[in-house]
Amino acid sequence: MEENSNPVYKDKAYGQHRELSYSYQDGGKFERTVGFHDNTDRIVLQQAWDLFDERIEDARQRVAAGKVSPVVYYMEKNLLDPLNLSMMAGISLWRVKWHFKPAVFDRLKDKTLQKYAKAFNIPVDQLKNKNITKVHEGGTKDNEGKQSIS
Amino acid sequence: MVKLEFEHRQAGHCESGVTRNLLNYHHHKISEPMAFGIGAGLFFSYLPFLKMQHAPTTSFRVWPGQVFDRATKELGVKTSIHTFRNPKESMDKLNAVLEQGYPVGLQVGTYHLPFFPPEYRMHYNMHNMIAYGHDNGNYFISDTLMENLVEINYEDLKRVRFAKGAFAPQGRMYYPTYVPKDIDIRPAIIKGIRKTANNMVGIPFPIIGVKGIRYLAGRMRNWEKKLGPEKASYYLGQVLRMEEEVGTAGAGFRYIYGAFLEEASGVLNQPWLREISFEMGENANKWREFSYLGSRNCKKRGKPDQSYDFLADILLEVADREEKIFKKLATIK
Repeated sequence: MEENSNPVYKDKAYGQHRELSYSYQDGGKFERTVGFHDNTDRIVLQQAWDLFDERIEDARQRVAAGKVSPVVYYMEKNLLDPLNLSMMAGISLWRVKWHFKPAVFDRLKDKTLQKYAKAFNIPVDQLKNKNITKVHEGGTKDNEGKQSIS
Repeated sequence: MVKLEFEHRQAGHCESGVTRNLLNYHHHKISEPMAFGIGAGLFFSYLPFLKMQHAPTTSFRVWPGQVFDRATKELGVKTSIHTFRNPKESMDKLNAVLEQGYPVGLQVGTYHLPFFPPEYRMHYNMHNMIAYGHDNGNYFISDTLMENLVEINYEDLKRVRFAKGAFAPQGRMYYPTYVPKDIDIRPAIIKGIRKTANNMVGIPFPIIGVKGIRYLAGRMRNWEKKLGPEKASYYLGQVLRMEEEVGTAGAGFRYIYGAFLEEASGVLNQPWLREISFEMGENANKWREFSYLGSRNCKKRGKPDQSYDFLADILLEVADREEKIFKKLATIK
């Protein structure tokens, strides 16, 4: 299951992209070059994805243990924080944090659940499910097969 | 169906690249560094209270939208800028403007952009790209981050234009409507340089400009004690991501600004600017060294020359250099 732990970074498409950057050579010459990521870029990007990986897995375990509601897991999986989630779902920040409690989450109305489901782009039934398998389904998989580079 | 004759050029920074490409379409040739410099894009601020991806934000440029706004204003270009509440309305307006024969700059969120490189997928709502045509629900897009032209369908485009979250784009679209012939860019360059110099050394507020770099250096020394090694390393990584990754063309725009100064010295016929552009280039190399050593630290090699104190010293040196450079630039006539 390990290869599924972060679809974003371990995607095959990673590293296929060449970008333009500027540089300066001693003696006073500015240059434009087009190239792949260098090592510095790779390290710091990897660091961010590792952190997201960790947070997603941590959230998954806490949901399974009944400590937090599935909202937390899907929030982490969509790389969101509570503030951004509240803006996306149209629910106030205070209420979003309140809904992190499993007991509160169980009592939520369908209307509120709909809002979350829409923000996470998943069906409501999936949102209610607390035994989340480690396989990721949302996230980047949305975009697979849609790449249209002409 | 509309497909305009549009010359796509890859750029280091999305917004100045968009500005350059749009002006180029209207037969006003300027380079990307020139657009960036006239738009006074260079900046520094460290915002410990604004968290992005679970770490404080470091910004190396001005607010999004300002580069295009300033550059076109200084050059006397007339522009049209719209934001919308209704997604349908915004798409109709986009179609109408394209049919009139104007390519349109769009502010979009990157998370749902289908052609975007996967390593950059995050909730970042300040990306810019150009639509230059549409055909039966398919839009032709020139994104300066990409090497080639791309396409996007109606639903996806609507979604990214109305991405929610911090700095939501709200379907912002902008395009030049009238570009005068024979623009004298010299006064615009001088104004742009003055504005940047003022932003960097003229604002008496501790987290902005050169003072901001020193402030960051001071905070950095305490990270390890305050946050523990893991979080401190992640915070450092965040500074480096902002410096090298988020469309900055390297070293937090310092290379691109150096290229601008070099070009400006030729246009204005002021040789001293060339000297300063070299100083800027060396300064940029120093930033690069900072990110190189910093990334070693992120990998947890733990050598003394990658300690937070050592890195903070580099930042202080950079701050001194930039203060010298921008104090000189502030006297431009």
